[in-house]
Amino acid sequence: MTSFPIVELIDVWKSYDGTQALRGLNLEVNRGEIFGLIGPNGAGKTTTLKIIVGLLKMDRGIVRVNGVDISEEPYEYKRLIGYVPESVSLPEYLTVEELLIYAGKIRGVPDNQIRERMNYFIRLFELSEKRRALILSLSRGMRQKTAIASALIHDPDLLILDEPFIGIDPMGQHVLKELFSERVKEGKTIFISTHMLDTAERLCDRVAIIHKGQNVASGDLKNLQQLSRTGESATLEEVFLKLTEEAKELMVEEPIERKRRTFFGFLRRSP
Amino acid sequence: MMRISLILNVYMFKVKVFFGAIRASRASVALLLLYTIGFLPSVFGFLTLITNAVKQEAGVNVEFYVEVLSAIASGIMVFAILLSLRGYMVFDYEQNILLTSPIRPRELLIASIFADLTLALVFANPILVLYILLVFSLNLSALSAITMLLAILLFIFMLILLKISLSIMKSLYGRRWINAFTSMIMLFLMLPALSLFLDISLNYSSLPYPSKFLAEILLGIIYDCGVEPLSLLSLTSYFLLSLAFFMVISEKNFFPMAGYAPFVSPFDVSMRTQTLKIERSIRTFSRMGAFLTLNPESKSLLSFLMKKEFIRMLREGSFFGVLLLYLVVLFVISITSIVPSQGAQRPPPQMFFTTFFIGVYSLITPLILVGNWRFSDLENLWIPLTSGADMRMVIKALAYDFILISSVLPAIIILILSITSNINPLLPLILVTSTSMIGCPVNLYITIKFLGKKRRGTPSIFVSWASMLLSALLLTPTYILVVLISSLALGYAVSTPISAIILVYSAVIMMLFMRLAEREILTIEV
Repeated sequence: MTSFPIVELIDVWKSYDGTQALRGLNLEVNRGEIFGLIGPNGAGKTTTLKIIVGLLKMDRGIVRVNGVDISEEPYEYKRLIGYVPESVSLPEYLTVEELLIYAGKIRGVPDNQIRERMNYFIRLFELSEKRRALILSLSRGMRQKTAIASALIHDPDLLILDEPFIGIDPMGQHVLKELFSERVKEGKTIFISTHMLDTAERLCDRVAIIHKGQNVASGDLKNLQQLSRTGESATLEEVFLKLTEEAKELMVEEPIERKRRTFFGFLRRSP
Repeated sequence: MMRISLILNVYMFKVKVFFGAIRASRASVALLLLYTIGFLPSVFGFLTLITNAVKQEAGVNVEFYVEVLSAIASGIMVFAILLSLRGYMVFDYEQNILLTSPIRPRELLIASIFADLTLALVFANPILVLYILLVFSLNLSALSAITMLLAILLFIFMLILLKISLSIMKSLYGRRWINAFTSMIMLFLMLPALSLFLDISLNYSSLPYPSKFLAEILLGIIYDCGVEPLSLLSLTSYFLLSLAFFMVISEKNFFPMAGYAPFVSPFDVSMRTQTLKIERSIRTFSRMGAFLTLNPESKSLLSFLMKKEFIRMLREGSFFGVLLLYLVVLFVISITSIVPSQGAQRPPPQMFFTTFFIGVYSLITPLILVGNWRFSDLENLWIPLTSGADMRMVIKALAYDFILISSVLPAIIILILSITSNINPLLPLILVTSTSMIGCPVNLYITIKFLGKKRRGTPSIFVSWASMLLSALLLTPTYILVVLISSLALGYAVSTPISAIILVYSAVIMMLFMRLAEREILTIEV
């Protein structure tokens, strides 16, 4: 078994239009675990996930997936990944079946396996009645299930999900949690970002709390209780509140260097 | 008692909402300027046309022109009335913010009228330029210029007030008799237009229509044959009648009955409206595209992706849009070649046919196809981008599909016409193929370029405008060679190698822009 983490972020920085989203984020996700990324709004959770899956480019830092630096090899590593974004947008002109075929085909899954896995996930997520319906006609929860099925069609080693439980009914959430546990038993990794701290507490083996683009603390609940000095009976919510509060006090606002934009700015020689 | 400051605030709010999105990208301002400049050749064209017509005074039949202009103005009135049949519509933000505030209906309506006029002024600025140039080129006196402007404004305000009042009436008392009544008005307005085609005694000159009064005033000034005070008085009376109608109806509380429409602004960069439109199209067209389904048993990834894109175009209506466009072209060309024109010498059919295709429709087709892809699939790009699939293949599939549809559909129409109208199909086919080979990759590249972080805020109208300009520019060698072949009436021996040169040139441009688009797609962030 390989010893290096499946996901590793080292000193990752990212800014958008003058807002620093990530400030030297460090993170490690181990193989065969359910890892949760938690943090307040605007902490940089979605940005982190998008950088890992290659939808955003970091300003600086190193991201390794399965030991491969994604800046050096930005395409092949994606075959290991299944990803579901927070606000799922799907091609509404396709049917559920067609979307799963499309997802499988562009990931190079053999034709017979596409059919097999498609049927399995359609049954698992109770989408049988809607398999030939256009995605346009699906409810939000059904769309989310379809998106998750499309992310699993190539049986990825690493499943990255941004707020996966939003919009899914309790029964669907239960099925999903069971599925995650089964995959972890098979040695696969689940990396989720969530606001639902009670779910994270029950589901995740380890979590990382990020605040203003920095990793405030990471580990299992026990580690976090010790770090936060909240006691053994403290819930993840209590730990989270304590740690983010402390982080707020410690964090010094770092001004972002903005490039001065003037009409003749392009004439200036770059340093 | 109306609250002027409230009306002003609402007016400012509406204008800001409309133009607010322009701030998302600095390119918008430059492109707005480009839009105005782009219309200037047409403005000068119209100006020359009108001044030349006026200068050739001998034998001018002003009465006939009054009929034509009355018919056009009546058509505009009918369009305004047709719009009112939907009832009074408000945008989603108005529904949420304004209709839930203590504003009164009349206050909202007045603010809306002035906001709409302000917005219209920005986009109709080429018409204003035309008006000013016309005043100077025809040496109109100050009084004539003012009278002309006054008549136009009276007509426009009358239309706006009529449209608003009728739509509120429709919302409040949505009964069938309103539809019947408005349909009767529309019928009466357009009935005299038949006299332009048929030998009937009913014409606009004998009827007291506002459109006729407007036509009489405008042509009276342009041809310097004097303005009848009665015409001006009658037009003013119509305006006052509409105003009275508006004052009565704007007292009513129509807010609970107002219809809802998603906010539309050409500066809107959220693509929400366009996405909603695409959703509606999918509901309409998906059944027609249901015969073709996606299955994994495709020979190659490229053919699979091409099929997937073709299915998208079938189900979201792009294919039918282009088909409809060319059916209209076929219909128009067929009619113009069947109906003999009165007096005037008809241009040679091939010339008309070629100009029509190349000048307008061939350039529009890639715009439609690429624009619809942007609206329906941009948000779904995360699927291929996170899959590790070769994005060059995705671009190739898109470009090949666009080229196929934008060249095969018109080619079928050209071949039909070549049989029915005995036209040599070679030149039109070469032109259409070249336009499609150059237009599609250029549009695709520009669209992807404007998905970049710094340019994403650019309104789609400007992206389309920039794509069309660049395509037209790159098509210049094609146009020159085609004009050479047709004007010098070159035989097959010469025209065939020139056609081959055109196709080779188009292929080079196609490859270049596909390469650029393939490189660009890898840099976008979604």
